[in-house]
Amino acid sequence: MTPELTYRLCLTLSAVLFAVGVAGVLIRRNAIVIFMCIELMLNAANLAFVTFSRHLGVLNGQAVVFFVMAVAAAEVAVGLAIIVTVFRTRASVNVDELKLLRR
Amino acid sequence: MTPLDNLSSLQHYIPDAALASFAVLIVIVDLFARGRSKVVVGVLSIAALAVAGALTLWMPHTGERLFYGMARQDGLAQTFKLVIVGCAAVTLLVSLRTQEVAERLRGEFFALMLFATYGMFLMVSASNLLIAYLGVELASISSYILAGFLANQSRSSEAAFKYVIYGSVASGVMLFGVSLLYGMAGTTDIALMGERLASAHPLALTIAVVFLFAGVGYKIASVPFHMWSPDVYEGSPLPVTAFLSVASKAAGFGLTLRIFRDGLGAEELLASVDWPLFLALLSAVTMTVGNLAAMGQKNVKRLLAYSSIAHGGYLLMGIAALGSSDSSAPTAAILFYLAVYLFMNLGAFFVVMHLAEPSRLGSEEMPAYRGLIRRSPALAIVMSVFLFSLIGLPPFAGFWGKLYLFKSVVDASLVEGGVNGHNFVWLVLLAMANSAISLYYYFAVVKAMLLDRGEEETPVKAHPAFALVLLILFLPTLLLGFFTNVDDFRVDEAPEASASIMAEE
Amino acid sequence: MSAWIMAAFMLTAAAGAVMVILYRNPVYSALSLVLTMFALSAIYVMMGAYFIAVAQALVYAGAIVVLFLFVIMLLNLRNQQALKESFGLRAAVGALLGALFIGVAGGTMWAVLSPDQFSKSAEVFKDEGHTESLARLLFKNNLVPFEAVSLILLAALIGVVVLIRFHGRPSSDNSEESNDA
Repeated sequence: MTPELTYRLCLTLSAVLFAVGVAGVLIRRNAIVIFMCIELMLNAANLAFVTFSRHLGVLNGQAVVFFVMAVAAAEVAVGLAIIVTVFRTRASVNVDELKLLRR
Repeated sequence: MTPLDNLSSLQHYIPDAALASFAVLIVIVDLFARGRSKVVVGVLSIAALAVAGALTLWMPHTGERLFYGMARQDGLAQTFKLVIVGCAAVTLLVSLRTQEVAERLRGEFFALMLFATYGMFLMVSASNLLIAYLGVELASISSYILAGFLANQSRSSEAAFKYVIYGSVASGVMLFGVSLLYGMAGTTDIALMGERLASAHPLALTIAVVFLFAGVGYKIASVPFHMWSPDVYEGSPLPVTAFLSVASKAAGFGLTLRIFRDGLGAEELLASVDWPLFLALLSAVTMTVGNLAAMGQKNVKRLLAYSSIAHGGYLLMGIAALGSSDSSAPTAAILFYLAVYLFMNLGAFFVVMHLAEPSRLGSEEMPAYRGLIRRSPALAIVMSVFLFSLIGLPPFAGFWGKLYLFKSVVDASLVEGGVNGHNFVWLVLLAMANSAISLYYYFAVVKAMLLDRGEEETPVKAHPAFALVLLILFLPTLLLGFFTNVDDFRVDEAPEASASIMAEE
Repeated sequence: MSAWIMAAFMLTAAAGAVMVILYRNPVYSALSLVLTMFALSAIYVMMGAYFIAVAQALVYAGAIVVLFLFVIMLLNLRNQQALKESFGLRAAVGALLGALFIGVAGGTMWAVLSPDQFSKSAEVFKDEGHTESLARLLFKNNLVPFEAVSLILLAALIGVVVLIRFHGRPSSDNSEESNDA
């Protein structure tokens, strides 16, 4: 595979992952799965960063990926903790069942 | 100005470094503080903010590029930091004695407030999108937890839940936008990016900018990323609500200014991506949606939440005007407006918070406010002044804020070439119409307080310490317009892009 | 040969992503996510980004997805949640939007690449073993981001402890099990 085709395919895959992530956030009501979809979106960005970094021959894109991974771990930990607290009072992780604040 | 290396940057980074070190110190002190000595933690936190604020005020901010071009200490960062640190300090003072946060969690609460404040510092001084993203995340992650801080209240954990989902999606989209911009420019340095993007594909560039805007748009609660804010504002502990509605919004605007003024302000870029028009449309929709939604609200806290969306809309108007040839006038107007907004909005939120305590009104609903003038004349009048200022009635500070902001947009539209070829006078007219709408719902609260008769007549007394805090917010709301004007808020011009070439290895 | 392997990994990653949102049982979704993460890790190896590849496998597959699985098991969602979610109209709208996004993002991606860069990047492609220069980049140019990330992790740590230990319980004294995630 030529580098050009590799890059193009990787970027297409990145676009697909991002789109699937967005679609998942919109379709799914299970908060845990929504968080998985957010992970897909972050991974799409990571793949794009690595690909661009190789394509342009500058390394700083890979440094960004490193930071994004750490942030993603922190975000998921906090998000899941919040889900657990909601589950304790509500016994559900369905985002549609949270209506306490709407009027 | 060539970027400084890590060691020589430190001396210019003392205010921020002090804040971050204090935040970590508080975590450690809190571990050893038990029972009553938790007060030490609170005092230490306020001292931390005072030190950071004083250092920010006194350090010369001459536009150095620090840490190989990661952060920039310039007048813009300085002003924004002062607004943020002021908001955090007042919020901490008020939350020293709020019952909303459990006693044993105070230490963590203060530490997280400081972390959020440092995250916002990172946002407003960012000259690299990586730092901007990390600042957004640090501020957001701390805020998610702060929003869920009401122990054993499902309202609060629900607010945190909504916040974390909207926030994570928005920052994910933002990151994807950053990756696209990186692909086009080969760098994440904001100023350098602006220079290299001129040859990029216009459509791809537009899409990348829209994605990037999702991250800051959710911070400033701009339509269509505003849905979280009324729910989060209502469910969070009130000090957190006040903090989010002012500091978080200010930080969002700081970053927006950085991105659009420093990065995308070049004329060649304006030709390929017409962000002034995009932001003007968003501004129009945001202020209208915020005001119309606020009209139907019976809960004063929620009303203020929607009205703060509307204020975000007015401010976006100033960002749109940055696309004109002179970007310093709109910048100064935005800074002045935010400084005014700090006092009047915090004041209004704190009155609501104080009245919501069980020993006073015990409610945030409008009917409970009826006849407040008989029960506590001082609180009713102070609240009315805050609300009049939020409407923009002369002679209060809010009026001057709006006047300068509207004037800067009109000026920018009327010069040769307008704002990237557009004339935004229509937007100013719409903003005036919106202010008239806001008169209706703010006045409903004032009417309930001053003119209506309530069932209860028992006097409501404000706590003395709280009265002092309120006075600190009240006097500027009354007098700021007379003692300063927008010219005091002028900061240095957007930096030269070519100077940042050195940022690359 | 390596082209086919790469293509296979790409297909695996995409398929895993789609399965994440199609499985109704969150446990299967999490396992599909592992599949995607590992495939991405393999792609990073083939692109020569070894450090990122290892970090991807360790952090995502090793930590984050395990965290997801822990929480799913903790909440015991298998039975009640699997049946509750109804797709239908929302799925159609989501699929439509997804397709739209693939179009937008994919088109953008292709437009982003500058053709004159390809001759240059072919050179870089051969250059392996850059973990050392990446480390220099991380600890020299990106020192402040590095410190900022450490604060983010600390804030998250404190936050999770606060949320899990003190919330949703009548009193925190009987904290026999503290799930500091």
